[in-house]
Amino acid sequence: MTALQSVQTLELRREVRRFLSEERARGTVLGRPDSWLTGWHPEFSRRLAERGWVGMALPKEYGGGGLGFLARVVVIEELLAAGAPVSAHWVADRQAAPSILNHGSEEQKKRFLPAIAEGRCFFSIGMSEEQAGSDLASVQTRAERVAGGWRLTGTKKWTGGAHCNDYAIVLARTSEHEDRHQGLSQFIVDLRAPGVRVEPIRLLTGEHTFNYFHLDGVEVPDGMLLGKEGDGWAQVTGELAFERSGPERYLSTFPLLVAVVRELSDKAATADQQVRLGALMARLYAVRQLSLGVAAALDEGRPADVQAALVKDLGTRLEGELVHEVRRILPVAADAGATPGTYPELLALALLHTPAYTLRGGTNEILRGIITRAVEHKEQQS
Amino acid sequence: MSIPQQLARVRTAGCTAGTGSAAGSAPLTEDTFVARPLAERAELALREGPLTYCLATGLVIRWAHPAVFHVGPAGTMGDDAALRVCGTLPRVPGARGATVLVAAQGPGGPVLFPVDPARTSVETGANLAGEPRDTLHLSDYQVPAELARPVTPELLSEFELRAALSRAALMAGAAQRCVQLTVAHTATRIQFGRPLGHFQAVKQEEARLIEESALVGAAVEAAGEALERLGAEARFEVAAAKAQASASVAEIARIAHQLHGAIGFTELSELRLATTRLWSWRDEDGDEAYWSARLGRAALTQRPEQLWSLLTGAN
Ligand SMILES: Cc1cc2nc3c(=O)[nH]c(=O)nc-3n(C[C@H](O)[C@H](O)[C@H](O)COP(=O)(O)OP(=O)(O)OC[C@H]3O[C@@H](n4cnc5c(N)ncnc54)[C@H](O)[C@@H]3O)c2cc1C
Repeated sequence: MTALQSVQTLELRREVRRFLSEERARGTVLGRPDSWLTGWHPEFSRRLAERGWVGMALPKEYGGGGLGFLARVVVIEELLAAGAPVSAHWVADRQAAPSILNHGSEEQKKRFLPAIAEGRCFFSIGMSEEQAGSDLASVQTRAERVAGGWRLTGTKKWTGGAHCNDYAIVLARTSEHEDRHQGLSQFIVDLRAPGVRVEPIRLLTGEHTFNYFHLDGVEVPDGMLLGKEGDGWAQVTGELAFERSGPERYLSTFPLLVAVVRELSDKAATADQQVRLGALMARLYAVRQLSLGVAAALDEGRPADVQAALVKDLGTRLEGELVHEVRRILPVAADAGATPGTYPELLALALLHTPAYTLRGGTNEILRGIITRAVEHKEQQS
Repeated sequence: MSIPQQLARVRTAGCTAGTGSAAGSAPLTEDTFVARPLAERAELALREGPLTYCLATGLVIRWAHPAVFHVGPAGTMGDDAALRVCGTLPRVPGARGATVLVAAQGPGGPVLFPVDPARTSVETGANLAGEPRDTLHLSDYQVPAELARPVTPELLSEFELRAALSRAALMAGAAQRCVQLTVAHTATRIQFGRPLGHFQAVKQEEARLIEESALVGAAVEAAGEALERLGAEARFEVAAAKAQASASVAEIARIAHQLHGAIGFTELSELRLATTRLWSWRDEDGDEAYWSARLGRAALTQRPEQLWSLLTGAN
């Protein structure tokens, strides 16, 4: 990745590191695993935005940095490796912004993009439902035409951050077709609109990020249809390349590795500990290179869906393996009640989040299907 | 040709190795990517013919003409640079038909010198893929002064990195071959009235194979760029690439064979040409434990906050 070694990117990386050490001193950046899921800190998000590190890839005319994906990757990988609390703006920056940029009306772009880049406008993803998990095309939330807009009815499930964000992008059925992939549309829904009701679903840790997101006849004006009516499926699948390949697909548990190295550095590490630690480093290195390859492809506007699926399966499996391997390197009883930031507490947090890594963003089993289909197709053509 | 370009060729050689395709001959890689560039760097004028290499440990090397009145920090000094060598060069690739470029610790520091197998006792052998791996026994082998080159530790280190990375690139090629053969097999082999690739269980395993192979390829490619840019300083990147290439072998070979069924276990299929090489190459030029231990030590000798800098290669 020669582009990543350019003087500008190295300088940017240093700048982020300086910022992070200030924030560490301030007590905001605490090396927490999975901080992009549960590290909700709007003031921190705004401080990032002030430095131009939210909406970096957006064009300048919409308040962005006009910097492309690689610059964004440099910043977010630094943030994730440091376990910084980035979940407030995460979905807005990663997903909603490129979606609105690609499919949104001029009015939507002017209204949302600068606000996202200022760290003032946070988004949720309203895709999954009770009956629509892996089989997303079976969503039952409906949007009916009413005067001047649409009325949405249904219940989204697993909607992260719906209780504290500003908007959600909701996938809903706008018409019936033989092919279920037709007749789906996306809407930008104000999470404070009348008819929206958010009900918590607690994680197995007791943390609250998930919700039922009920839409009881929520009226959405015409201007909040995102993209074209009926194009929802293509839009959603287009988003997924952004969602699947980034550093959050292999770095979620990296802060735990830093913690174990901290523990080991006061002691004389055994040969076995060195080898196991080194093997994790090798795999992290390799997955990172693949992930950077996807960022470079997205930067150049090349399709990267399959590569993204590949990165996500490898990377998220590694996130889980890292936890179990770290436990083998330095055995300790994971303890969620231990002092925050100590090794047993971080181990507990990373461990209790392991089920999520290979499920969110499309399960790994579904991704593997995408990978084999594409390779078989290529093989048939050659 | 740049290092990444050369490595792309090495990878192709690894993909076609053993298939009779012209590009696929491993000793060529030992010559072109490792031994020859380093001999040239050290300005060693070697006689014509193919080269191979050995990074030797445990040799007894002494001055051929010691100056007994001249005792320095490294023991007696030589009257000239000529050396006498005793010991074993184990499992050298293709040594029976090539000059062996040896790198070792000499009496006054690292040295590079050629060994002519005809003047040694050669014990022929082979790796699991049947590639020649010959052990040379040197008993008082004489190296004339003009062929013994004291070299810098950096050159020695680059020698080792080139050896490991070219091996990893060969492995990336062989892994790619496993993918090609497996995808072709699952697309054409019919069971239960359908191609194997139609079944979920097969898809799931095949995807893991594709991923593991891509992982090795990405690590090798990135390490090649690092070696081009940093030379002997690309220690971390090359170690990661070889550690990962070796570590991925078990999974790659397991899945490729499992999805081939019985035929892959026989001479009726070409799969063995790739998998037996992978099983051998993972041990050659340092196995995953050797390179992982280096990475682990590197991680533990700096402050924990530096772990990420080590991975990104940016300070
Ligand atoms: C931490 C986390 C955050 C999330 N955040 C959001 C969010 O903000 N917004 C949102 O809309 N959704 C969110 N989701 C939901 C997520 O997208 C779904 O969990 C995911 O799509 C899988 O659906 P499911 O949980 O219903 O599992 P199911 O689809 O019921 O799958 C169960 C198991 O069966 C396997 N399976 C299913 N179908 C197949 C098949 N055809 N072949 C092989 N295996 C199959 C799956 O791989 C899985 O292992 C989140 C999920 C998690 C874990």
